Amino acid sequence: MSEMAGKLFSWVNSRLPIANTFERHLSKHPVPSKVNFWYLFGALAAVTLIIQIVSGIWLIMPYSNTEEQAFSSIEYIMRDVDYGWVIRYIHTTGASLFFAVVYLHMFRGLLYGSYQKPKELVWIFGCTIYLAMMAEGFLGYVLPYGQMSYWGAQVIISLFGAIPYIGESLELWVRGDYYISGITVSRFFALHVVALPLVLIALVFLHLVALHEVGAGNPEGVDIEEYLDDDGVPLDSVPFFPYKVLNALVAIGVFMTVFSIIMFFFPEGGGYFIEMANFQEANPLVTPEHIAPVWYYAPFYTMLRAIPDPLGGLIVMAAAVAIFFIVPWLDRSKVASIRYKGIYSKIALTMFGVSFLTLGYLGTVGVTEIRKTMSVICTVIYFSYFLLMPIYTKYEITKEVPKRL
Amino acid sequence: MKINLNYSKYLVISFCIFLSIFFVNNINSAEGGPCKDYGECDEFKYSLNDIESLQRGASTYINYCYGCHSLKYSRWNRVAKDLQIPEDIFFENLVFDKSIKPGDLMVGAMSEESVNWFGVAPPDLTLVSRYKGDDWIYSYLRAYYEDSSKQYGVNNLVYPGTAMPNVLLSLQGNQRLICKDIPVIARNGGEKRDESGNPIYQEKCGFLEVEDDTGKLSKEEFDNLIYDLTNFLVYVGEPIKATRERIGWYVVFYFLIFTALSSLLYREYHKDYNK
Repeated sequence: MSEMAGKLFSWVNSRLPIANTFERHLSKHPVPSKVNFWYLFGALAAVTLIIQIVSGIWLIMPYSNTEEQAFSSIEYIMRDVDYGWVIRYIHTTGASLFFAVVYLHMFRGLLYGSYQKPKELVWIFGCTIYLAMMAEGFLGYVLPYGQMSYWGAQVIISLFGAIPYIGESLELWVRGDYYISGITVSRFFALHVVALPLVLIALVFLHLVALHEVGAGNPEGVDIEEYLDDDGVPLDSVPFFPYKVLNALVAIGVFMTVFSIIMFFFPEGGGYFIEMANFQEANPLVTPEHIAPVWYYAPFYTMLRAIPDPLGGLIVMAAAVAIFFIVPWLDRSKVASIRYKGIYSKIALTMFGVSFLTLGYLGTVGVTEIRKTMSVICTVIYFSYFLLMPIYTKYEITKEVPKRL
Repeated sequence: MKINLNYSKYLVISFCIFLSIFFVNNINSAEGGPCKDYGECDEFKYSLNDIESLQRGASTYINYCYGCHSLKYSRWNRVAKDLQIPEDIFFENLVFDKSIKPGDLMVGAMSEESVNWFGVAPPDLTLVSRYKGDDWIYSYLRAYYEDSSKQYGVNNLVYPGTAMPNVLLSLQGNQRLICKDIPVIARNGGEKRDESGNPIYQEKCGFLEVEDDTGKLSKEEFDNLIYDLTNFLVYVGEPIKATRERIGWYVVFYFLIFTALSSLLYREYHKDYNK
């Protein structure tokens, strides 16, 4: 029997590079031997993506993408479908935690210079994944067709209207109707469950292939490829399996504990994960008191609101995301890690982190005069971090990077 | 794992600044609470394992509310089953329309004309506890007061200008807005007194008081009735809630064990590698 299996395997392997790929990308893939917890969020993002895809497939089965039934089919899932509530809460909790994990993953990149040469493409694929995720999240949020789905979509789609000349026709084209309707819901459904997941999977694949080509980074910013053993394996590396896998397994355990605490005890996340107003069916005649985005879009929403002109707001908001793409060319530092960068980089990154969190907070609350001023200040800090980067990274005094990990 | 002390220091300081910004910001926010003129909503703590409370709440709902407010995402037999009421007893006592089948949705008994009676159609209340919150419901149903300027002679502190008459008036009695003399509180937190040591009083308005002997229930009994009713609405907003919270402990426990075992395994392998 085992002989048969062996024969079958070698038959397949001579036609498909299974063993080779497995060794190259999993069992023998060298990863830096000393990394910290910041390096675990990539694995967690992959786990969350799988969770979202699997729970999503099961949600499609009982969901109805029509104007009349979208909202009630969600309640049908919550009440009449066996364990439907588990699947739905997995998907809503997963969405928020996906963004949380990806934000931490991105912050890790800024912290340890994970975008620096030769990892520019890894970074760019990552930024594109984030962009696709934002679209995916927005489309998915419209599907339950609650009040926030409707009015959130209203706000976001009307952004297209701010574009000069083609704005209005573009808005109509995206919506598929003169107002948000069942047509909008069903096209968003198609994009949410087929188009964007395909894009996301393709991008994640490219992100990983590019990463494995150039090798993973480490918090010291040391290039481990400099010192190799006789077999050409970096001295400061461990094989992906079992070391990295076991490390990730612990992280997954912690992550799933947090995940299940939220999912079983606080599925609405205090109104941040599922907004209260979204338990009311979409009603074009009644505008909710506050139209607040879910927390993960809040920083960008604040920037949009900070600029009085709609087109200006749209440009600033788009630029806030787009600017991530050019970070590899903004950083002129000789060192990668914040540990060896100078004081200016440290202050800049801290200010950036604080302004991002503040923008996020401001996006979830109503507007007052002082908040408006604060959102302008934070928007300026946000952009200063990037735009001043070529200057402060070039002229600051950096520390000597060690040769080995 | 080397920790960069310098950078951590910056992070701590910046987070302090961040928190202080929140603090300043919250002082300056002038948003009214969800309970409007009532002030802070009364806190409501649901108890979904108190089946008797849920049964009483369901009975109140069906007798006083269901005539106008449907529960259209909920099914009759699901309520009977979750509230542990035998189906025959449930249908005999709580389902008045005999053409209803056990698996039917609770779509309500209201005719289309209702819009003409109240100006708005009475909303479906299946999910009211989820979009308004249980604190809000509990406060709202107890905040009606006499106001002859309104169509139904009542108004509500939590929802000023509400279209719903006080359906529970005969139980609660006639509640009024009154003014009271209350002691003035000095800056040091004690009662303010005049030169001869007598407390100084000041008239304040906006207090709710039920006229004696106008309702069938005492204040305490009425509060309990509203408690049960709100509890039922929390249940019907998410029937699985009690089960969810019960199962949750097992799942969390499982992942804690999972984390512990995987970290032991991880350590064991690293011992091997670092020797």
